[in-house]
Parts: sequence; structure tokens; C-alpha cells
Amino acid sequence: MINRICADVKRYFNYTVISARCDLMAEVASSYLNWVWWILEPFCMMLIYAFVFGYVFGSKEKYFAVFIFIGLTMWNFFNHVISGSVKIVKANKGIVTKVYIPKYMLLIQKIWVNGFKMVVSFGVVGLMLICFRIPVTFSILMFLPILFLHVLFTFAIATFLLHLGVFVEDLTNVTTIVLRFLMYMTGIFYNVEKKIPVVGYYLSRFNPLAYIISAMREILIYKKMPELRYYFLWLAVSLVLAYLGVRNIYKNENSYVKSI
Amino acid sequence: MSEYAIEVDDLCISYVSMKSYSIKKNLLRGRKEKNEYFEAVKHISFKVEKGEILGLVGQNGSGKSTMLRSIAGIFSPNSGTIDLHGHSISLMSIGVGFKPELSGRENILLSGILLGFSEKEIEEHMEEIIEFSELGEFVDKPVRTYSSGMHSKLAFAITAILETDIILIDEVLSVGDSRFKKKSFARIKSLIDNKDRTVIIVSHFNNQIRELCDKALWIDKGEFRMYGDANEVMDAYEAFMDE
Repeated sequence: MINRICADVKRYFNYTVISARCDLMAEVASSYLNWVWWILEPFCMMLIYAFVFGYVFGSKEKYFAVFIFIGLTMWNFFNHVISGSVKIVKANKGIVTKVYIPKYMLLIQKIWVNGFKMVVSFGVVGLMLICFRIPVTFSILMFLPILFLHVLFTFAIATFLLHLGVFVEDLTNVTTIVLRFLMYMTGIFYNVEKKIPVVGYYLSRFNPLAYIISAMREILIYKKMPELRYYFLWLAVSLVLAYLGVRNIYKNENSYVKSI
Repeated sequence: MSEYAIEVDDLCISYVSMKSYSIKKNLLRGRKEKNEYFEAVKHISFKVEKGEILGLVGQNGSGKSTMLRSIAGIFSPNSGTIDLHGHSISLMSIGVGFKPELSGRENILLSGILLGFSEKEIEEHMEEIIEFSELGEFVDKPVRTYSSGMHSKLAFAITAILETDIILIDEVLSVGDSRFKKKSFARIKSLIDNKDRTVIIVSHFNNQIRELCDKALWIDKGEFRMYGDANEVMDAYEAFMDE
């Protein structure tokens, strides 16, 4: 199984990268402001949330704009990959009915596309850190490990939705609702741990997204190391889920084509 | 010659539990619907020697395309085995295999990679493919702007120029206008002339099968009917169809 994954990744890796590059370029080519949207969209969202939660509800969070922007950047990645994964096999109908491709490669392709946008967005975070004169410390070394966990966790969840999405017609409706709920439980524009008494403590540790996003904020803004045992806990969970998800896809992928 | 390129043994393919499931419907009905069960291919076995051209005939809906797709690895058989002995394979079929938002050129690159070619090999053949497909300047426009004829021509050009060891041809010999048809027929003939290439052709033009194929396999409603010399099988098949 591990061997098969390695062989397939080696064989199709190139495809995922080139296909993602083409998709990004096509997206740019067909809009007026093209790549500016990748920055503009999260930036405008940040302004809206900063106004509503910072001004109207009077949030006391330090560096609130950066706080929101980090949350949105990571949430958008998760949100787009997850909601796209549900219909991903159908969306690539032209390809999957003509040639064999391990179906989770379609997810990896999608992760490249959205990951690239996330990196652009983190570039803006970097600029904001400079503008707000937030000092950089050693905690920044955790940036890549946390980002990796975020991507791996997203991939793991998406593998299951990819599978279910083929057979369950109205899964999109369900995921939209669940994603919205999850967004509020993750604290994109407020601090879950401070704002929700008792439950917030557990949410910020046992909701993996809340943990990952607040860990990212801690290392970038507040210069605190995240609780490492939860990092390894979620890393292990994500690895196991990703493994099971990929195995499940291998087992069933050849029947996907029959149902679309 | 006794080296086989394709060995198919006791192949069964059925479309089971294909009815998609809806949470809403299930909540309203309260119990699970029974899945429909449809056997498309029933216990078919055959072998194709390396370099051989096999014609596959049968009425519409007799499981020909299903079988080709499973040989191409696109979906798995329910039982039985398919052994390609490690040969590379491509399926030529009517219709699309493209990402509509991308240009023809990008789609050629992506399809080529999926067929197992390197970027460099595809670049080397790029101009040849574009020329064969007769797309001209459309090749840099998004595929969604193509007419259906252009679509099929491009699909045909990719598989015809990027040659794999085994080629499965599913009713594509009638693509495009009459000039392109002649050209593609000539191309197929030259592909077939290569003694290392193994080809399976599905066609509803009986004369094509007689002209191109060494052997023919006739299946009817998923069941094996006859296998043997192309002309003999076609005689029996035509007699059956005239009844």
C-alpha cells in the first residue's frame, strides 16, 4: 500500500503541479483584476470582519486585523478544498472517464491551487507584521510545521468527502451547513478560548482547526509556542485519517466512474 | 508468435449500487432503496497476441465500451482478471477528456502526462499533434470554445500521435469531416502496420473491421458469441443482424 502510494505520487506528481499551474493561469487570464483578487478578496473580508467585530462588537484582541487575516487565510484554504472535494470526481469527469488516475491526485491538484493562494495571502500577513512592527522571534520556526499540519489535516478530511461525494447527491448541502458551523466554532474573527467560557477551552484544543489556527496566531503575533503535545496528537490523527482515506479511495475508485 | 499483449480471463462487470444516494430522499422514504443490478459483461475470456488487431462487434449496449474501459483500467471488473503484461495503454473514444477552461495546448500537455509521457516527449510531438488536429490558432484558446468536431479531432490527434503499446479505439473512426475521416483512417492503418502494436477496435462499420482486423470478437448482451478470423465472425454477425 505504501509502495503503491509512492509509485503513484512519483508518476502523477508532475501532472498535479502542471495542472494546478494551468488552472491558476486560466483563472488569471479570464478576469480583469486577475491575480489581484487573490489578495483583494481576503483583504476585503478582513476589513468587513474587522469593522463588525472590532468596531461594532468592540473586540479587545491585540493586532486584531492581523488576527483576522491569519484566520481567514487558513480558513479559506480549508473551506475551498473541502467544499471542492465533494464534487471533485464529477468536476473532472472528462478526465476520469478517459484515463486512469488515482482519484486523490485530483485533491492534491486542488491543494496546489488553493495552497498557492494561501501562500500569497501569507505574503500579505508578512507585510502586515512588518507594518504593525510585530517583532519576529524563534517561534517563527514553527510556521512550516503548522502549515504542514493544516494541509495534511485538510487533505485527510477531503479524501473521505471525495469518496462520499460520488455516491451522495446532496452532500454539498450538508457540507455547506457543517462548514458554516465549523467556521464559527473555529474562531476566525474572535478568540474561541476567551469568548466562550469552559467549552472554548476544549474547542481550542480538540477542534483541530481551532487549534491549528490559534497556534499559527500565537507563533506569528503573540510569540508563544503552541502546546506541542496537541500538535503531535493532531499530526498523528491526520496521518492516520489520510492513510485510511487514501486506502478507501484505492479500494473504491474504480466504481466511481460507473456512477457518474 | 505466442506472446500475448492482453489476456482477459472470465471477465464480469456489473453496474451495481450505481444509483446515487440522497440524504433527502432517504429521510423522506425512511428506508433504503434497492439497488438496481445490471450485468454489462458476463464471463468473457479472450487473448490478444502482441501486434494483433482485434475487432470487437455487437449491438448497441452489448458491453463493448464497458469492456474497453475496464481493459484501459478506468474501472475494475467485478470478477475475472485483465493482464496487460506491463504494456502502456490508451483509450481513444468519442467525446471529451479535457479541462474546458484550459487551452488546447495545455490540454495536450496534461493528457500526454496522464498517458505516461514525459513533458519533453510531449513538447517534441506538440507541433505534430497541433498540425494533425487542424486546430490552427484555436489551439491557444480555451477548449470550451471549440466545436464538437474540433474537440474530437484534438482528442484523436493526441492518442494517434502519442503512441502507446496498446491502443483501444472506441468508434472514433467516424470523427470529423470526410477529409479528416480519411486522414484518421490512414493514420490508424499506419499505426496498425507497426508489428509491435496491439489494437482493439470497436466499430459499427463492418467493412472497417473486415479491412483492418485479423481477428474479431462478437459479444451480444454482455455474453460471448463468437471469436475467430475477422471475416468469418463478421459473416456470422451480419447474418444475425439481418434476421
